[in-house]
Amino acid sequence: MFSTGFKYFFGVTVLSVVALIMSYALFEKFALGGVAISFLIAVGALLAGLLAFSSDGTTRDANTSTSDLTTQSIWPLVSAIGVVFLALGLVTSSVVFFGGVVVLLAALSEWMVQAWSERASTDSTHNAAARKRLLNPIEFPVLAAVGLGVVIFSFSRIMLTVNKSTGAILFIVAGALVLVAGVIFAIKPNMKRPVGAAICVLGALGIVAGGVASAVSGEREELVEAAAEGHFSHAECGPEESKYYDKLSEGTLSLRSSVSATVVYQDGELIARIQGLAKPQKSLTVGRSIPTNIIFRNATEGEFRLVAHLGGSKSADKAADGDSHKDETCTQLVAPGAEQSLTLNIAKPSSVENVYYLYIAGSDEKKIELVVP
Amino acid sequence: MSRRQFDIRLSATIASVRVVLRKASKFAGAAGISAVVAGCATNAPQDTWQPKGPNSKLIDDLQQPVFAVAGIIGLIVAVAVVYTMIKYRDRGQPIPEQTHGKPALEITLTIIPALILAVVSVFTFGAIFKLAKTDDTEMIINVTGQQWWWEYDYPVQNEFGITQPIISSGQLVMPVGTKVLLRETSRDVIHSYWIPALNGKRDAVPGRIHTLRLEADEPGIYAGQCTEFCGLSHANMRMEAVALSKEDFAKWVANQQAPYVAPAKDTLAKQGEEVFLNQCVRCHQVNGLTRADGTPAIAAPDENVWSGAAPNLSHLMSRNTFAGAMFNLLSKQCRDEVWNAPSDVVGAKYLAGVTEECLNQKDLRAWLRNAPEVKPMYANPADLAVSNGKYRGMPYLALSEDDINKLVAYLITLK
Repeated sequence: MFSTGFKYFFGVTVLSVVALIMSYALFEKFALGGVAISFLIAVGALLAGLLAFSSDGTTRDANTSTSDLTTQSIWPLVSAIGVVFLALGLVTSSVVFFGGVVVLLAALSEWMVQAWSERASTDSTHNAAARKRLLNPIEFPVLAAVGLGVVIFSFSRIMLTVNKSTGAILFIVAGALVLVAGVIFAIKPNMKRPVGAAICVLGALGIVAGGVASAVSGEREELVEAAAEGHFSHAECGPEESKYYDKLSEGTLSLRSSVSATVVYQDGELIARIQGLAKPQKSLTVGRSIPTNIIFRNATEGEFRLVAHLGGSKSADKAADGDSHKDETCTQLVAPGAEQSLTLNIAKPSSVENVYYLYIAGSDEKKIELVVP
Repeated sequence: MSRRQFDIRLSATIASVRVVLRKASKFAGAAGISAVVAGCATNAPQDTWQPKGPNSKLIDDLQQPVFAVAGIIGLIVAVAVVYTMIKYRDRGQPIPEQTHGKPALEITLTIIPALILAVVSVFTFGAIFKLAKTDDTEMIINVTGQQWWWEYDYPVQNEFGITQPIISSGQLVMPVGTKVLLRETSRDVIHSYWIPALNGKRDAVPGRIHTLRLEADEPGIYAGQCTEFCGLSHANMRMEAVALSKEDFAKWVANQQAPYVAPAKDTLAKQGEEVFLNQCVRCHQVNGLTRADGTPAIAAPDENVWSGAAPNLSHLMSRNTFAGAMFNLLSKQCRDEVWNAPSDVVGAKYLAGVTEECLNQKDLRAWLRNAPEVKPMYANPADLAVSNGKYRGMPYLALSEDDINKLVAYLITLK
């Protein structure tokens, strides 16, 4: 019969061959990972052969045999999978690599405890209880966390795929189902355990299946398009409404406690108010290399954005010259009566050649000079 | 061990402890007297009990009675404890009858302190709200802390003749009888601004703006100290507030806005300007300084210093200190003349700035020779990994003595 050691190394060898083929088929490169997997195949095959030849080096003694107490173990196979993922991770990504490390460590731990517990005494019932007492306090929370993580991740995939309205409905339905399940468990405390387990498993499987399907079909078009445009970091400082930048409110008014100045656009005039100075200002002094928060308050009837021009020629002029570099940053389009903050951090001093100012997009003549000493 | 042996040993131990306690009490007494005597020092520029402005007087008016009340209560408690210890010390008498709980006494002893604290809190809150007022501000000055110096910039305020921003460091110059509002922030870690003679402390926190009112009754120089531990040279991060009469302040403003005057050709100072352009301008700005090709020399502290700033040296010699006010630009005799001058002439003496005769050449040269040697800073290249290779403070520049001579000759022209 094949020994445990043989099965382990044979499994490593076979799975490594599969990984090697897959990595080549998917990524068309071997590099370091390919060499590592090839080396793993060679070592696994050699050790499997040696163990098959020597039967793990064990001699059978009929009087002291404990083979009756041992059970079949899944952990050699899981360990082999871990090793293969570890090697595959070298070719693909660090996530796969560290996943392999986690699987391998977990499998080895389980394997060792199982091996120990099966030889703890001559009573197999006692041995099984000893294993449970040692590992169940770790296994149950970890499995629960992993299970919940998978369900939550799957649900997030679903929400990224369906449109916003459907997402809201799904959220309500999911919440309602959880509530209903909770109510059933509460009013039927004597419900058979398999029935309760079946309800939970079916619900989880449904979400995971939906998540897999969503992951395969990809995120909704709007998100893919927005990510490609880079609207999360790229501010469009023109007067027109940006398709994405103006959609997501920044919610930066939490910076209110550290406001350097409040810039108000009212009756076609742009003025700055500074704490401690009663009169409105037409210039602001901004410290060099200091994050400076400015609140823009739109006190007009239209939607406007505040733009900070931070030196050089204006972007439009530069674009005309073939230079796409922008020395500007801005708020989003701010609704009538609303406010938004703008954080500036200017490293170089202002000068005649290097002029900084704030202005309203589309209305360049209304300016507040930014003086950086 | 027999009972007799035990008693002998116990007596010997008690005798030894008594000897130690006797010596310790003498030492504690001497230390206490020293502390009390030190509190009477007249030359204590950071004394919190000598307010020189309405804001600090407000604090003083609060702390004087509170201190008196607390002192009286402390004294009563101390006397009661000592009296009880002596009166009821163990003399072998039988243990008296034990009692537990006297509701009337306990309630009284709870209500009396609560009432005292309530009265104190009423006046404390009143003082806090008055010190937080900003709507009566007459002048604002932006104050920025960084390791280990303070920068002051004065935004345009035409009513004070400030028609273009003024930037300075080390010494905060302000007009007397004017409600000045400091807008504090920091470029790196948390610092705390404190001129004890003019007001309490206020933290300077990165990303936040905290305000602090200052007002001085009389012209003079008032010392201060960073009071939030901020790194290696925290103890060397000092500041001075210079209060000038309104006329003298106007002169100071005019001087700070005066254009740059380049040194005459073929002078040592001109050679110093070249050294400055080659070495110092990497971090230090001198407004109006231009390179040989006529382009403005713009400092780039953001590329070299962790905080992103280094002191602007445009009018260095109009100040009395350098290196975060750790060193004096004036020699001791000249500095004493300014500090000890009567309030009616201190302005004139301060505005005279640093002359060649009064320049503290020793400390300035030592600073230029090897700054980290005279002020602890993270300037060792081995320590810069955490700041991506940027210095905290001024680094060792390996200047030759010849370069130092030229630089000193140049710096003295920055009036």
